[in-house]
Amino acid sequence: MFGVSRRRLNVWLVNLALVVICIFALIPVVTTVVISFKGERDIIRKPPNFLPCDTPTSAFDPTACRWSVEGYQRVLSPKPSEGGLLPFALTGNIVRVYIPNSFLYATSTALIVVFLAGMSGYAFSRYRFRGRSLLLFAILAITGVPLLTNLLALYQMGVVIRKAQVPFYDDRLFLVAVYTGFFLPLSVWIAKGFFDAIPRELEEAAVIDGCSPFSALLRISMPLALPGLMAVFLLTFVNVWNEFIAGYLLIAKNEFKPAMFGLYEFLGQNIINLQVVAAACILIALPIVVLFIFARRSFFAAMVEGAIKG
Amino acid sequence: MQQTQTRKKRRGPFHTMLPFWLILPTVLVLLAIQVYPAFYTIWLSFHERQPQGWEYVGLNNFVRLLGMGVFSESVGHTIVFLVGYTSLTLVLGFIIALLLNRKLKLSGLYVTLLFIPWIIADIIVGIVFRLLVVPDYGLLSGILQNPAIFPPNGISVLTATRPPSWFGGFPFPPALAMIYLIMASAWRALPFITLLLLAAMQTVSTEVIESSRIDGANGWQVVRRIMIPLMLPTLVVALFSLTLGGMNGVGMVFSLTGGGPGSATEVLSYLLYVLGWSQLNFGRAAALAMLIAVVNWILILSTLRVTRVEERTH
Amino acid sequence: MKRLWTLMSMLVLASLILSACVAPATAPAAAPAGGEAAPSGEVKDFITWYQYDEKNEDPASDERVGNQYLRDTIPQFNEAFAGKWNWVNQPKAWDRMNAELVAAVQAGGDVPDLFDMGSSGLSLLYQNGALQDLSEWAKAQSWYADMDPNALAACTGPDGGLYCIPIAERPHLVYVWKDRFPDGFPTTPDGYLAEGERLKGEGLYAMTFFGSTDFDGSGATRAVFMTFASFGGGYDDGQGNMLLNTPENVAAVEFLRSMVQNGYVPEIAFAGGFQEENAFKDASAGSFPTGLFGYRYVNPLTAPNGTQYSKGNEEDMLDAIAAGDVVLAPFPAVEGQKPGCNNEVTGFGIPVGAKNPEAAQDYINWIMSPEQNPDWVLRPGAGFPALMTSRGLEQFQTPFYQQAGDVVAASACRPWHGSLERRPEAQRLIMGAVYKLIKEDPTADIATVLQAAQDEYNAGN
Repeated sequence: MFGVSRRRLNVWLVNLALVVICIFALIPVVTTVVISFKGERDIIRKPPNFLPCDTPTSAFDPTACRWSVEGYQRVLSPKPSEGGLLPFALTGNIVRVYIPNSFLYATSTALIVVFLAGMSGYAFSRYRFRGRSLLLFAILAITGVPLLTNLLALYQMGVVIRKAQVPFYDDRLFLVAVYTGFFLPLSVWIAKGFFDAIPRELEEAAVIDGCSPFSALLRISMPLALPGLMAVFLLTFVNVWNEFIAGYLLIAKNEFKPAMFGLYEFLGQNIINLQVVAAACILIALPIVVLFIFARRSFFAAMVEGAIKG
Repeated sequence: MQQTQTRKKRRGPFHTMLPFWLILPTVLVLLAIQVYPAFYTIWLSFHERQPQGWEYVGLNNFVRLLGMGVFSESVGHTIVFLVGYTSLTLVLGFIIALLLNRKLKLSGLYVTLLFIPWIIADIIVGIVFRLLVVPDYGLLSGILQNPAIFPPNGISVLTATRPPSWFGGFPFPPALAMIYLIMASAWRALPFITLLLLAAMQTVSTEVIESSRIDGANGWQVVRRIMIPLMLPTLVVALFSLTLGGMNGVGMVFSLTGGGPGSATEVLSYLLYVLGWSQLNFGRAAALAMLIAVVNWILILSTLRVTRVEERTH
Repeated sequence: MKRLWTLMSMLVLASLILSACVAPATAPAAAPAGGEAAPSGEVKDFITWYQYDEKNEDPASDERVGNQYLRDTIPQFNEAFAGKWNWVNQPKAWDRMNAELVAAVQAGGDVPDLFDMGSSGLSLLYQNGALQDLSEWAKAQSWYADMDPNALAACTGPDGGLYCIPIAERPHLVYVWKDRFPDGFPTTPDGYLAEGERLKGEGLYAMTFFGSTDFDGSGATRAVFMTFASFGGGYDDGQGNMLLNTPENVAAVEFLRSMVQNGYVPEIAFAGGFQEENAFKDASAGSFPTGLFGYRYVNPLTAPNGTQYSKGNEEDMLDAIAAGDVVLAPFPAVEGQKPGCNNEVTGFGIPVGAKNPEAAQDYINWIMSPEQNPDWVLRPGAGFPALMTSRGLEQFQTPFYQQAGDVVAASACRPWHGSLERRPEAQRLIMGAVYKLIKEDPTADIATVLQAAQDEYNAGN
């Protein structure tokens, strides 16, 4: 009897501790949301107040809250337009250009990475050939050279290709290639780990039944590896979405900027516009957070695999 | 090994070459995007830009780099940052993983909420933490700068003076901005480490724990004598992975402190950015990149060693 | 897993749709702006890099003044050169423009025909071979003889070539809230300290300034240089060596240290960015030593007497000066010294590899015309015209320019870098040392720290 209630108390305490931890973990997120819904009048107050809900007579009056969408308005800059689906068009660069760009970069990079990492991960997992361990190690070791100086060589490479007037080439294509190169090494290791976990007997049975090894790969291993490849896709997608420095240094045209670079435009140097910065941050982070909430299991699988192997 | 070789011989040349074709595209991409730039960086580290073109300067870039006052300072800051960041993240991650390891009804919800920080870009995390402590206007500054709460003049995180060093030139105790940078970085890395440790924790068999409980071990003894030894390889991997990330990440410093106040949060990765892309001193930046690469390689190699040992013991 | 698949296919689909939508949406944006002026097939694009973006209509953008200027001027230029040139501006971040140009030149990438630049960046661009020598062309132009020789000197490279065409000069001076100094703005450092003590008693600050090490130590070119120069010091020995450890400079640092350590300067002066301006905007700091161009950024304003200047553009500061709430003053100098200040030149360079340098030359000649020159100088230039005859124009007879002219006449303005060639490295070292001395470690020996910075720079000579 005593034991049971003590156990229950324990569970209750653990829950309490976790709730407190969750609150702490989310404080920065919540404050950013609150800031993004304040008006300039409340942003430039000294000292600041947490909620814009005070009146001259009381410190907190929920009916007097001065919530405002000023920050979002400045980021999205809606303008009236005719003939569209909505009575207004969002003309802010963030939604019109930068986020679609990020989407394009992240999706195409992730698809290419999944394809390449899937193939080589399978080869590394299933075949023993000369130089295998060395190559595997080299793929990882090459990431040891800091990206920041590599970017100079990549920048020059981009210029050379542009000058050669390669058909269909533009800076976006190059950026996708660069991102592919950045995120491929770890993905190869992760993919290999997922293939390692698939029993090889299944393929061997298929080969004995008359499949060629290649079609065994396509028909047996690939479907089984799909959750793993999905994880690689999502991880790469998020990594590209969140990448800043390569886009910042390699993209020169406004029309090609990814969202993280676009965010930089709102970091006014001499104007206190915290609400605008907060709104821009939220708009850019939101798609990825939603994606994460839907697909978290897949993320967790890739993270653990990636960390253990590399 | 022998089996696969005999089997290979039975197949046609395409199948023998299959792994080669499967790996080739990856290798080509990496040669172009990673290997060539790496060699170019090595070349750069021995050259300096003159109006007419690149000039070979031997080891001059390295000599000048080591002679920079801010270089040795940055080494100190990097060490302080890494020690603070890894230990804070590992300890908190371990505690949270212990709590999550009790299979609770709400575990799924907790995990989802706790993981949101990890998914947010480092550059945004830096901005978000900066918004909190902008002097005069940040929400935290309202509390910290209040002289009634923090006498005599209140505290301003981003501009506070560095305390005098205890060890000559070594930056310890660290500046407030450095502590704040460590907290922000740990905040973002914590979910990842928690998950890693939780996964390892779940492989520790409950029977071992139960039996030691019966032997009279209390909770702390179970953790110290059973869990930590069994999880040691994972802990080491977590440590190396944190160090590697902390050593090379530049986004957080870039958007949170910009290396300031003064040079208080100038770490090596940020110095690399400043030298290369702000001062356009590519030669010297390349020299620094080489030094960082050596540290990275040591870390990568050690991680592989540990995981290989782990694989063998399992 | 099924749900995941649905999600992923949705993602792919959405991205395809999005990218399909984006392509036509952005293509016209990249295409020439002036649609009507393209009947003949010979119209060529004239590419410029400015830190301003004519497409940014945000009324609270940092660069709203320059953005508006381009919006107004691009159609004018395209009209004036209809059938010949079509001006296409590519906006760049101000603190990254030089780096981008150098990287583009070295890699043989796309460079603009015209580059908006300051004389501070000259050495870096020269060192990297990014700019064309314009002296021959410039000497043949009618406006050349009319140029202020000092401005031309600031654009001259180490080899004697002319690497930029100066349009505006931006001396530094002190913006002062008149009511914060009832006895007048002090003329000596000791007087400044005394006023600081008095204002501190009222919960106010005597001075705000760019005190952080942000932007690669750009603070070294602002108030710090004014202080050094007003004490009779400076940064170089005239031979290309850094010279920091002098009695004058030590005294200047001691003064700044007292200002900061006694609490006469608000904490926000060290917060980075340009946040120090906020202390002047709300008049909590009585004075603000900075560049003449500061008026473009420091707004809206609230005067000590409560008057609001809230247009939110460059006119706020000009209005406050016209109303007498803000006055301009030279930096307080020690006895026997003229107030010191940094004088920078802003203008145009033509990069190596520019496709249409003739367009840039046409453009420069156009900007030199009496119709265009004052407008450029007043808005993006935010300084004094480099053309001597322009100074006589009506636009430059306002209270603001009269006061500024008096202040500059009373001061000894010169480029901060003197004979130093590695300017980004120099300003970073200097600001780092000064920050450490005045803010971080008030007990550190001034001469030792200055000497260390000086030695580090000179080791590279």
